Amino acid sequence: MRARLTAAVTLAALLGLTACGGGDAGDSDGPVSLRMTTWSANEAHLALFNEIAEEYKKANPNVTEIKFDPIPFENYTTTLTTQIAGGNPPDLAWIFENSAPDFVSSGALVALDDTLKGTDGYAFDELTPAATKLWQDEGKLYAYPFSTSPFGVFVNTDLFEKAGRETPAELIAAGRWTWDTAVAAASAVNAETGKAGLVIRDFDYKGWDNLSTVWTGWGAQAWSEDGKTCGFDQQPMVDAMTFLHKAIFTDKALPAPGTTADFFAGDAGMTITQISRASLLADQKFGWDLVPLPAGPNGDYAVIGQGGMGVLRKGDNAKVAADFLAFLTNPTNSAKLAQFFPPPRQSQLTAETLAKTNPLLKPEQLQSVVIDGISSGVVKPSHTGQAEISQAVRAALDPLWQPGADVRTVLTGVCTQIKPLLDR
Amino acid sequence: MSSKVSRRAKLGLYGALLVLAVPFVFPTWWMVTSSFKPISDIFSWPPSLLPTNPQVDAYRQVFELQPFAQQYFNSAYIAAVVTFGTLAVSALAGYAFARIRFRGQNALFLVVLLGLLIPSEVTIVPLFQMFNTLGWVDTHWPLILVPIFGAPSVLATFIMRQFFIALPGELEEAARVDGLGRLATFWRIALPLARPALGAVAIFTFLHSWNLYLEPIVFLSTPEKFTLPQALTQFVDAYGGPMWNIQLAAASLTALPVLAVFVIAQKQFVEGLAHTGLKG
Amino acid sequence: MSRTTQVVDRAHARSTPPAAKPADPPRRSWWTTRRRDQLAGLLFVSPQLLGSIIFVLLPLGLVVYYSLHEWNVLADTFDFVGAENYRALADDPNLPSVLGATGLFSLGLVVLNLSLALLLAVLLNQKLRGTVVFRTLFFSPVVVSLVAWTIVWGFLLQDNGGINGLLDTIGVDGPNWLRGEATAMLSVVVVQVLKNVGLNMVLFLAALQGVPAELYEAARVEGAGRWTQFRKITVPLISPTILLTSIITVVGSLQVFAQIAVLTQGGPGTSTTVLVYYLYQQAFQFHHFGYGATLSVLLFGIVLVLTVIQWQMRKRWVFHEQ
Repeated sequence: MRARLTAAVTLAALLGLTACGGGDAGDSDGPVSLRMTTWSANEAHLALFNEIAEEYKKANPNVTEIKFDPIPFENYTTTLTTQIAGGNPPDLAWIFENSAPDFVSSGALVALDDTLKGTDGYAFDELTPAATKLWQDEGKLYAYPFSTSPFGVFVNTDLFEKAGRETPAELIAAGRWTWDTAVAAASAVNAETGKAGLVIRDFDYKGWDNLSTVWTGWGAQAWSEDGKTCGFDQQPMVDAMTFLHKAIFTDKALPAPGTTADFFAGDAGMTITQISRASLLADQKFGWDLVPLPAGPNGDYAVIGQGGMGVLRKGDNAKVAADFLAFLTNPTNSAKLAQFFPPPRQSQLTAETLAKTNPLLKPEQLQSVVIDGISSGVVKPSHTGQAEISQAVRAALDPLWQPGADVRTVLTGVCTQIKPLLDR
Repeated sequence: MSSKVSRRAKLGLYGALLVLAVPFVFPTWWMVTSSFKPISDIFSWPPSLLPTNPQVDAYRQVFELQPFAQQYFNSAYIAAVVTFGTLAVSALAGYAFARIRFRGQNALFLVVLLGLLIPSEVTIVPLFQMFNTLGWVDTHWPLILVPIFGAPSVLATFIMRQFFIALPGELEEAARVDGLGRLATFWRIALPLARPALGAVAIFTFLHSWNLYLEPIVFLSTPEKFTLPQALTQFVDAYGGPMWNIQLAAASLTALPVLAVFVIAQKQFVEGLAHTGLKG
Repeated sequence: MSRTTQVVDRAHARSTPPAAKPADPPRRSWWTTRRRDQLAGLLFVSPQLLGSIIFVLLPLGLVVYYSLHEWNVLADTFDFVGAENYRALADDPNLPSVLGATGLFSLGLVVLNLSLALLLAVLLNQKLRGTVVFRTLFFSPVVVSLVAWTIVWGFLLQDNGGINGLLDTIGVDGPNWLRGEATAMLSVVVVQVLKNVGLNMVLFLAALQGVPAELYEAARVEGAGRWTQFRKITVPLISPTILLTSIITVVGSLQVFAQIAVLTQGGPGTSTTVLVYYLYQQAFQFHHFGYGATLSVLLFGIVLVLTVIQWQMRKRWVFHEQ
């Protein structure tokens, strides 16, 4: 870094650019200002963050400013990386789960254990291991999983009624909520109503990692636990994808490639998405329900998506930033954040606590989808160099989305493509 | 070619123009009408051409959720400064490259032309480093300086040069014989003649600045300093999902005034260009 | 004597400036016209020149410097690797398909953009009422937000979308546009052309209105048909504008990627992964800044070569007639 900046400065100086010595960041004793990049520009979120920040500044007069810097979702990682590369990293940053391994293992983040454990009343030990796993490296926690959101199935009960099918709730009651019955129902909804049966939200034949909400039911994995072995060409994955392929092209249970349908506009019988999307149903005209993912051949399972918050090592005030992070995520504030982001804290994962802040969801929905989901959930696939692997998988999977595709051949091809990337 | 057209040919021509216009107009139509629809109706298929139950809520929220008026002002003043700056820089340079003979002329022109060839994704990282060194991150300086001197202004210089090459030089020569200096000749004689080219450059430059997307996102981090294309991305719900009706309302507010200016200015612009224009 | 030749001669005269006049008689000193011109010329171009050096050449130099390094932003490593990235470039298995897609995209875009712009301009140049309205309609996409534009087209191009709906009414079973390799490329080209063709159209229109009507009259007297008139009069006379727009469009075509990112993400397969999109992926998504810089250098080289070729070719066909 130093070499690079020196080069830039020297070149600039040579060309007569007067650099007005801007780089002296504040001493650790002087006034400190913190900046946190987020991908949410939502008013309610920022209001809550600012409220917590005000409180922190009151208790810590040396911290004069805490700024939340919302960056658009699609450009988030690009912008964050440019700021880091340009020598102006934020002090704290939200991190997508799919770039978690990159950030965690690269040394870009500060290990948080000592600060968090050393904060009075923090109750570090109640963070659920399922939630923190992704954010750890060699036993150290590098980011706090502030949002741990399980995937569930939202159901348009009106469409089910129209199609004259048993609803998922009834299937669950009868103990028959499996992928087979789910696809049969979706197929019937499509045939009877002309609307889409089941939509895997954000998949759209590109965001393939969302398919882990399906294949986990077969016990399949994108790659092995240690990230070294490709899982696409193994039997569970072949079975899961064969099932999915048939559901799409034979049963028409899912919208075909190149067609989209929005569940929240009433265009689909069911959708698989994170439960945090429930807010979109606030003023919905159709009847709806939320149920856990159907059981696969391997039994019941859950999948979670996450967002983390970390402290950048290259920020000017890493120590203060870590202290603020501890304040922001202590039990009191974590309870406040829980209205938007399902928390990783065991004590707050009760139906009563969550019900207070998620009025749209019934306690049994919270229990079955959220609480059970978070404690047993499998995180969506991620790997060091995820973006590159993801791109390679996307390209290699494309031939699968044709009616006559040979599933096993395509999946073997995926492994050929990503093997060198997994080995890195 | 612009001869009298028979009635039949006329009808055919109108028909062709109408058909051709559809793909150009439909997306704009969709953008504007959707901004009056409730969010759940926007993506229903097939789309309704008119909102069944028009709402102006989205337009109110545009101003409530973001300091949108301030952001509008930011975009407008940045675009204005960039436009005037570019006009000054490019008219001077274009004039010199076309009219004045000086050593190194061709080599320098090539050096300048390089700027046209580099996509902003290529230089954004070094530029960010430079501005960070100067302490100008989260200010409007990068959005003003880079366009005035970088790629967009090179295009402007290029256009100005082509224009002056085509412009008859007798008037200027006469003025010079009368003892007028270079700068005075440029200012009093050449520049007034160059109005059409300046108009073209102004439109290009203004639109470029007005639509700039990557740079504001990378350089700015305070909502009060945001520009419009960046502000559009900020209307999202609690889970990062775009609030489409509000985004489209904001997008309509961003596009329509510029379109209005084009409608008013186009006649003068196109015909002005034609008379002395970029024709040789 | 037609005005054509006049224009042509004048242009020739400008591109080879007249010989220097003798210095003004009263001041036969060191301060000659030539020296004054030298100073004036340099002063006039200096803002642009300095700006180019600071905001274009310096960053470009830094990019070349980065391309000699292995730079992982997250791990904060910045190691000199010499020509390693360039060797990797030569061995990159993705590169042939990326370059192929880039060539196809640019060629398609330039041909379609220029011919459509010219067609629209010619249509709008007829003496017809209401051309102002159409002019505005064709120009309007230029000011519409890219995001809105791309979303709408994403919808229209779906398998059950508006385009196929239209085709259906005339009994054609439309393809799944964004999911087939050839049709995906065609789609991104067309969507991009429709967005920006208005600018070129306006430039062509201006050029066409500058063509003197007498020329057409004369040609008609000599019995030339419309097509001949177009080829023999219109095209040569607006050739400088064709040069300008083609340079802008070629350069621009190599820099487009936002729409590709939204519509196809470079797919299906890697069929629409053009060079600038690949560069963006490598540098910003995969965090290979050094390799991204190397691709930047390659992109820059390609644009440079193409522009030089176009610039040289202008001597062959611009201003050329008869």
